Amino acid sequence: MGVTVLQPYQIPEGKTGAQAIDFLTKRLLALGAVHTGQFLVDCETYISAPQHGPSKAVHVLHDSEYPVTTFSILDTGTGKQIPLVADNLFDLLMLKMTSVYTSKKQTKIESKGARFEYGDFLIKLGSVTMMENFKGILIEIEYRPCVVLFYCWEMIREVLQSFLGVTVAKEYPGYFTSQPVVNAMGQQQLHAKQHDIYEPIDTINQYLEHFTNYRKQNIMPQVSSQSSNMSMNTGMRVS
Amino acid sequence: MANMEKLNATLNAVKSLRSSVRQCFEQLADGTAAEQTEDNRTKFLVEFQENYSHINQQLREVETLINGLQPSLVSSYLGNTTYLAQEITQDRQAMYSQLVNSYKWIDKVHEHSLLAFNNLNLNNLRRSYTYCSQKRGRVQYTSCNNPDPEFIDNLFYNDISHTNTIYEVCRQFSSNAVVFATISHVLKAAIICKGVLIEWVTVKGYDEPMEIDDLWTESRYEVFRKVQEHTHSAMLHFFSPTQPELAVKSFMTWLNSYSKLFLEPCKRCGKYVSNGLPPTWRDLRTLEPFHEECKNC
Ligand SMILES: [Zn+2]
Repeated sequence: MGVTVLQPYQIPEGKTGAQAIDFLTKRLLALGAVHTGQFLVDCETYISAPQHGPSKAVHVLHDSEYPVTTFSILDTGTGKQIPLVADNLFDLLMLKMTSVYTSKKQTKIESKGARFEYGDFLIKLGSVTMMENFKGILIEIEYRPCVVLFYCWEMIREVLQSFLGVTVAKEYPGYFTSQPVVNAMGQQQLHAKQHDIYEPIDTINQYLEHFTNYRKQNIMPQVSSQSSNMSMNTGMRVS
Repeated sequence: MANMEKLNATLNAVKSLRSSVRQCFEQLADGTAAEQTEDNRTKFLVEFQENYSHINQQLREVETLINGLQPSLVSSYLGNTTYLAQEITQDRQAMYSQLVNSYKWIDKVHEHSLLAFNNLNLNNLRRSYTYCSQKRGRVQYTSCNNPDPEFIDNLFYNDISHTNTIYEVCRQFSSNAVVFATISHVLKAAIICKGVLIEWVTVKGYDEPMEIDDLWTESRYEVFRKVQEHTHSAMLHFFSPTQPELAVKSFMTWLNSYSKLFLEPCKRCGKYVSNGLPPTWRDLRTLEPFHEECKNC
């Protein structure tokens, strides 16, 4: 298990999502990557009932890379996020809690598609859909032997550029640059994560961040003004 | 005591006589300066005459000193060998011939070890560079297969130290040590020693288990399987049975350059990734990173 970076892919003007996926697949295979099956990451959000005080949200996520695990992130509504990694039984527990937490079915969102291996890299071309509506392409790239982003970011960047055909910004992706953390004194501080040891929950956090962005978008992402000198945007930060 | 001083003075006089004679011969061998002028010739002759008279004078000095010496009345103390002469038991009088034999034996051992040393230095396993020692200094005899249990411990806990690397010496299997090295947050290596020689190296990722009971499974990552292959050729390159300490130290310095395994682009092609792998080879001398396919072109 190594460092993972999520990169939204801006679909070139005049192309459909399926065409873009097809294009990227061909580029990957030409590079020497091997197709190794499918993947799925989904996210469902539960909102607490109003009689239980201020509104809280529980995001429940599954990642096919961790088939027997359910990840959940409790959003207290005060900017604090508490992650919980449990086994699959947690899903049944959520069903028992319908009186407290109700699912916002219309925001159930998922990213799924093909999974590729290139050396020790794991690359996933995800089509993001919410309620059967296509929202965009989200690329996941993992360099499995390395546990610190600082060490391998240039490697990841080079591989991304080699099959995306666009320049990827030199800066670390937003998720790694500055995260608000609560220190021992109870104060909030900004903490750069690029030197930290990477953990599976970091991937889940990144998915949640991007899913939240997609949920906020009302328009389809197909239209993009830049076409030739397009540089990848790592997405807005969610606080 | 006075006799001792006299003896010392005589020995010194002999020494200076020898050096004067040597100097004189050297001068003769050098001959005159390049141009055969009359001037040069006379100068040479004068110098020689000076040297010659100096030698004569020193010779006379030596002779007078020798005449002044007196045979010592007290026999000098010769250590335990004096007791040999006092031995009266019949069966121990054969000691002398035994001593001579063991002397001969030691001489032979010395000769054999010298031959062995030369043979070992013709190291067939070293294939990357031919190494030729220019120094013909004193030969150090270190036994490599009679492990001194403290040697490896000392080496790794005192002599060898690299920032970002943690060493741990384990001695599960008799006296042979296994050294675990954790290099930065990049990789783990198990260095299996036989005596003071490195016998095998296993390389794994930072997140992979590396235990004393399981030293032989390969890494699940291609990059570390490649690095392990390279450590084996480096191990053979640095192998030096006569200077095991230097071999281990050089190898560890080389291995430590992998702390930047993912951080440095290839020196040849300038890229980070080639065939899905970072530059997995490190030059044995410069420690520069290369892709496996870039190192030979
Ligand atoms: Zn190269």
